Amino acid sequence: MSHALDLALSAILLAGLYATMAYGLGLIYGVLRIVNLNHGGLIMAGAYCGWVLFTRFGIDPYLSIPIVVVLSFFGGIAIYRGLVRHLPRGAAGGVQSLLLLFGVWLVLRNVAYRLFTGNDVAIRTSYSTRALQIGSSSISVNRVAVFGIALVTLAALHVLLTRTQFGKAIRAVAQNADSCTLVGIDVERVYAITFGLGSALAGLAGLLGGTIFAFNPQYGAGELLKSFVVVVLGGLGSVAGTAAAALVLAVVEVFAIYFLPAYLTTAVGFVLLVLVLVVRPGGLFGQKVLG
Amino acid sequence: MKPAFRRLLPVWMSPVAPAAFAAALGLAALLPHVVPFSAYVHNLITLTFISVACALAWNWLGGYLGQVSFGHAAMFGVGGFVSARVLVHTPLPFFVAWIVGGLAAGTFSILWGHPTLRLRGPYFSIATIGVGEASRLVFTYWDGFTGGSSGLSLPIDFALKRTLYWWGLAFLALVVFASYAIRKSRLGLALLAIKSDVDAAADVGIDPTFAQDLVLFLSGGVVGVAGGFYASFFSFIEPSDMFGFDRSIGFLLMAVIGGVGTMFGPVLGAIVFVMLQQYLIASMPDLYLGVYGLLVIFVILFEPLGLSGLGLRIARKVGVRFAPGVAAGTVASSAARKT
Repeated sequence: MSHALDLALSAILLAGLYATMAYGLGLIYGVLRIVNLNHGGLIMAGAYCGWVLFTRFGIDPYLSIPIVVVLSFFGGIAIYRGLVRHLPRGAAGGVQSLLLLFGVWLVLRNVAYRLFTGNDVAIRTSYSTRALQIGSSSISVNRVAVFGIALVTLAALHVLLTRTQFGKAIRAVAQNADSCTLVGIDVERVYAITFGLGSALAGLAGLLGGTIFAFNPQYGAGELLKSFVVVVLGGLGSVAGTAAAALVLAVVEVFAIYFLPAYLTTAVGFVLLVLVLVVRPGGLFGQKVLG
Repeated sequence: MKPAFRRLLPVWMSPVAPAAFAAALGLAALLPHVVPFSAYVHNLITLTFISVACALAWNWLGGYLGQVSFGHAAMFGVGGFVSARVLVHTPLPFFVAWIVGGLAAGTFSILWGHPTLRLRGPYFSIATIGVGEASRLVFTYWDGFTGGSSGLSLPIDFALKRTLYWWGLAFLALVVFASYAIRKSRLGLALLAIKSDVDAAADVGIDPTFAQDLVLFLSGGVVGVAGGFYASFFSFIEPSDMFGFDRSIGFLLMAVIGGVGTMFGPVLGAIVFVMLQQYLIASMPDLYLGVYGLLVIFVILFEPLGLSGLGLRIARKVGVRFAPGVAAGTVASSAARKT
């Protein structure tokens, strides 16, 4: 029984991280209709960024959050302005943007291999192994902090999208970009900033993930897949749907790790995805992704 | 051309095409007898045949249907290991083992592809990353079947290895013909229609589910046969190589270099890719991933049709005029739609 409680707790804490990274992917797809295949690369870059700041400059990973977020935000804008902008949008550009961003990911990975080798590294702070005692179960302080930051981030995003003028512009562009140009919204600017926001979320998720897990230049491939599963499960456009879907994935994964051999856990998210597609092709909540 | 002979050919095939194709095949078949190749070159050409076949098969799915796969190594691996098991445990001849491997790979691809191909937009592609990763892990740990990380050895047959050149050529010929036939047949037209608009295709009586599944089965099956061929060729296979992400990228890159969605671009792309790979592995083994990445970026930004597009462009400059539809027909769904 206490095992089940422990697992449920760690699933909830993990869900915060999953929701953050999935929201980045979903936001870009919702507005630009482009799957950011470089999402995994940005997650990996965010983790390494935090690692470098921590090991070289001694900056605590939680203090380096603003640095990483700003860097990945502008990195995303650079990728959009330099590359993605030149492709046709919509169905015709689908394959092209996919391949292009895949190329960017390959380059990022190669850069990481050159700079950091392929060995696993981890951001190990003095409090990495500290734990809180709640009843009979102990919870890592670090994971609680990651969960808290994820919650704050998602809340901030929700406010940005629903309560501000710019958020309104983003949602308007997601609905109909052509009409937006008619009412004087700078659509290109919205696209660029949305791409930046999605990238910043990926970078942040990478940094947060890097404080929990060990990583190497291949880090991010599994995370891309998990983000994808969450987006399909939760639908686009709703923070609550994304959070609920992230929770579903985290619970399934955490309990699967308990019962299955460790190497099979990568396949768990995928099997979940296929099951959802067969049973409920419209996703579990919110707006459908599948058309 | 005599009418009797003309009637033997399908209506969509120009009589020049099979003649030129047969001539090229004959030349390739005679080549080792005329030019004294070293064993290295002989083997390299044999492997190029297989790469060409895989690139074309990838293109049926990624080009004709527009569903890019990042996980075709999964089918290569399944085909390879099933063929290897058949060869190790039964007295069946190798080509039967390849076909069994191909059927197994095709069936495997339907298993995960039937639900994921229903996804609209580029989501199928991300699912294929998962398929590639998951099957690599599962098959690496499945010792009983794949031999785990230490791999699987097949009985070595030196005489066979040399003759595989012609088997590879025959396989290649079959796949090239299939590429042409699929593109020109009802199935090919159905795929183009589905690529442009699934709903519209369904409205005019095409069964998108069947067409998508069929082309995935064919694509996976051919790649599976290639995996079996690879197993026979090297007499030793190992999961992390067969299922490797590098291999999946390789199939994709060959098609991208040659021209995604073109009929024969991947042939050229595969040849260029094999040469590039040989050069990169020898001279800069720690940079090849980045070079592949840059290559994809440059091709997509400047010439989305790869070498085929470049060829068309040069031909137009020189003043060659194409019948309407030749240039456009190579690209499916050129109409830019906003969604």
